[in-house]
Amino acid sequence: MNAHSSELAVATPAGGPGAHPGTHPGAGDGADEELRAELRAVARDLLATAAGKDGGDDAQVDWALLAEAGWLGLEVPDGLDGAGVTVAETAVVCEELGRAAARAPYLGTTVLGAGALLALETTDGRDELLRALATGAPRLAVALPTGDAPLGAAGVPGTVPFRLAGSGAAARLTGRAEFVPDAAEAETLLLLALDEGGEPVVVRAVPGQPGLEVTATPVLDVSRSVGAVAAVGAPVEAGSVWRFRGDGRAGGRLLLARGALAVACDSLGAAEAMLAATVGYASVRHQFGRPIGSFQAVKHGCADMLVSVSVGRGLVTEATRALAAASSAHAAGGAGGIEEAAVIAVEVAVSRAKSYMCAAAVDVAGKAMQLHGGIGYTWESGVHRYLKRAALSRALFGSPAAHRARLARRLDADAAGRAR
Amino acid sequence: MSVPRGDLAELRATVRGWCRAHVPADWRRAQTGVGGDEFVAFQQAWFQELRRAGYAVPHWPAEWGGGMSAAEQMVLYQELAAADAPRLVLAFVSIHHAAATLLTAGTDEQRRRHLPGILDGEIWVQGFSEPEAGSDLASLRTTARRDRRAGGDVFVVNGQKLWASGAAHADWCLLLARSDPAAPKRRGISYLLMDMRSPGLDVRPIRNALGDSHFCEIFLNDVEIPAENLVGPENAGWQVAQATLSAERGMTMLELAERLGNVGLRSLVDTCRRPDVTGRRPIDDTLVADRLAGFDTEIAGLRALCRDLVERHDAGTVGPADASVVKVYYSELLQRMTGFGAEIAGLGALAELAKPASSGWESGRWLLDFIGSWEWTIPGGTNEIQRTIIGERGLGLPREP
Repeated sequence: MNAHSSELAVATPAGGPGAHPGTHPGAGDGADEELRAELRAVARDLLATAAGKDGGDDAQVDWALLAEAGWLGLEVPDGLDGAGVTVAETAVVCEELGRAAARAPYLGTTVLGAGALLALETTDGRDELLRALATGAPRLAVALPTGDAPLGAAGVPGTVPFRLAGSGAAARLTGRAEFVPDAAEAETLLLLALDEGGEPVVVRAVPGQPGLEVTATPVLDVSRSVGAVAAVGAPVEAGSVWRFRGDGRAGGRLLLARGALAVACDSLGAAEAMLAATVGYASVRHQFGRPIGSFQAVKHGCADMLVSVSVGRGLVTEATRALAAASSAHAAGGAGGIEEAAVIAVEVAVSRAKSYMCAAAVDVAGKAMQLHGGIGYTWESGVHRYLKRAALSRALFGSPAAHRARLARRLDADAAGRAR
Repeated sequence: MSVPRGDLAELRATVRGWCRAHVPADWRRAQTGVGGDEFVAFQQAWFQELRRAGYAVPHWPAEWGGGMSAAEQMVLYQELAAADAPRLVLAFVSIHHAAATLLTAGTDEQRRRHLPGILDGEIWVQGFSEPEAGSDLASLRTTARRDRRAGGDVFVVNGQKLWASGAAHADWCLLLARSDPAAPKRRGISYLLMDMRSPGLDVRPIRNALGDSHFCEIFLNDVEIPAENLVGPENAGWQVAQATLSAERGMTMLELAERLGNVGLRSLVDTCRRPDVTGRRPIDDTLVADRLAGFDTEIAGLRALCRDLVERHDAGTVGPADASVVKVYYSELLQRMTGFGAEIAGLGALAELAKPASSGWESGRWLLDFIGSWEWTIPGGTNEIQRTIIGERGLGLPREP
C-alpha cells in the first residue's frame, strides 16, 4: 500500500472537477476519465493487497486505510479538507469494493453519510462533521428506508422511517429502520425523519443516547454489516435537526437514489470479479483431456456473462452521470433546489441500473458457481461470498421488481403526457 | 469526439427542424403492404432527400460527400430515430459494405467509378454466403478462374450464392469466389465487383418466413468479370472481407438501437396501454408492467452499449468481440421484445397481415416483427458463432480442438 500514490489518485487541482458544481460531469471529459482510471487502479491494487493480507473469510479493509487512501473525503469540498470530486469517483470505489467483496464501512459512512451531509443546508454542525469525515474521525451511518415500500415516494409520510414530534428542546424522535448499512459500528447516526410539518429532515443522533437503540443484524453476507436503529421518544439534542437544501423531498429522493446506485456499482464489480474468476478457472481446469473453457457449453455461458455485465456497465455509467449532474446542481442550487425533471431523470436511470445490474450480478455469481463445478460449491472457493453479497445488494434499497414498478408507472405517465 | 458540445446542440436543432419539414407525414400507413417497385421508388426518393441535406452518407469522407464526425453522426441518427424517419433499407449494403470496401481496399479508379454511382442510387448486394458456406463462410465453393486468353483479362465465375438480400433490385454485387482451389481455404479467395447485368447471371428470389422475397439465390454460369474489378490482391479476398465487414458495425447498430428506443418502445408502451374488450389495460397487470419496465431498461442498456461501441471505434480502442456483444444483445432483445409485443397484442396481432416497408425491425406489427427477428439472430454469423467469438476473442478462452 502506498499512501502517496493513493492521495495522488484523488487530489484535485484548484479549479478542477468539483470546483464547478452544476457542470455536467462524466460524459467525455478526458481529465475526469483519467482521474477515475487512476483511482480505479490504486483501489484495485490496494484492495487486492488488503484481501490477501487477511486471508480469512472476508476481505476486511481497515478504517484507517480508507481514510489514508483519501476515499472518505472524496466528495467533501476542498474547503472542508476533502477532494471535492463527484459521486462518479465514489462510484469507482464502490465498484472496486464489490470486486474485492471487501468488508469496509464505506457505504454507510461515505456514500450515504457524506451524501446526506452534502445535501443539507450549511450549518456549523454539518460542516464540522464533513470536515471530520474526510479525516476519518466519526463513523457515520444513515438510516434510510432500505426495503421496497418507499420507491418513488421518498419524502411522503409513511415511508420515511422516523418522525419528529415537538421542536427545539422538546423535540422527540420515534421510528425504526432496518438493515441500515454500517449502523452497528457507527459513532454518529443520521436519521431521515419527517418533522411536524411533514418536511423531510436529517436528525443527528448518537448510539446509546436515551431512547435510541442500535442492534446489529447478523446476515448471510458476512462482508456487509447492517443493523436496526430504533427510537422511542428519543430526546433530540439542540442543533441536531438539519434541513435539506431546497426541496427536502427532492433531497431525500436523491439520497435514496444514491444508496441504490452504490449497491449497483458494487454488484457491477462483483459480477466482473466472478466473470474473471470463471474464465480463469475454465482456462486451466481440464476434463476429457482439454480445458473446460474450450467446450461450447462453458464458453457460451461465459459469453453470456460478459454480455450482461457489459449492458449493466452501460446502465450504471448512465445512472452515475445523471446522479453526479443532479447532485452538483442540488449542491449549487441553494433554496431554488433542483428541478423535478432532473430528479425524475435520476430515478429512472438509477432504477434501470439497480434493477438490471443487481439481478445480473446474482445470475453471474450463480453461473460462476455452476461453471466452477464442485469446487465452486465449497466454502473455500469463495464463490458463495459473492453470491451472498450480490443477493444482499439486490434486496437493499429496492428490489428489481420494485424499481421496475416505478419505471412502469413512469412509462405510463409519459405516454399519457404524449397523448395529451 | 472532439466536437464542441455547442456545435452538436446546433446540429441537433438543425436536424430536428429538417425532419419536421421533410419526413413524409403518414409514411408508415402509405408504405404498408406496398409492392417491390413502390418500395424501391420510395427508398430511392428518400435517399436523395437525405443526400440533398448531407445526411445520406455522413460516415463517408468529406471529399465523397460525407465528413461528419462520429459524435455528429450519433446526433444525426438519434434525431432521425426520434422523428421516426423512414430507414434506408435498400441502400444499406451500398453505403456501408460497398463503400467501406471501396474506401478501404479499392483502387482510386474503382472509387471514382462507384462512389458517385452509389450516391446516384446504385444498389449493391452482397454475394458471400452459399448453400454449403453459411457460418463457415471460408469454405465457399464458387470458383473464379482467371482467363487471359484472347488478349483479355477476366475472371470466369461459376457457382451459386445464397441469402443475397435485395439482389433482385441490385446493380452491382460484392462477390467472394475461390480463385486458388489448391490454397488453404482462407488464402485462395478473391474479392470481386460484379455487374449484375453480366451475361450468365440468374437471380431467383427465395420466399422467407414472412412471405417476403428480398433474399435471393444468385446462380453464376461462366460469368465474366474484368480483372480490373478485383479488390485487393488476388487470393486476399478473405482478408479484404474481414477488414470491411466490421467497418460499419458501430454506427449502424447505434441507429438500430435508437430506433428501438424511440418508436419501438413507444409502440410497445402503447400496446400495453390499449384497453382490451373488457376495458382493462395490460399495463395495469403487475406482471405486464414488470416485463415492460424490463424492456425499457434493456433498451437503455443497449443504447449505452452502442454509444460506447461508437466512441471506442472512434478512439481506436474497440475490442475484438465488442461488435459481437452488441449483435447478440440487440438481436435477442429484439426477439424477446417483439415476442412480448405479440403476446400482449394477442389475437389482434394475428390479424395484422402486413407491416410498413422502410420501417425499422420494430414496426409495432408485433407478430410479423417477431418472426422477422430471426433475420437478426441468424445472419451475419449466427448468435452461436458470435458467442464463440466472444468467448475466444473477447475473453481469451481456449479454442475448440
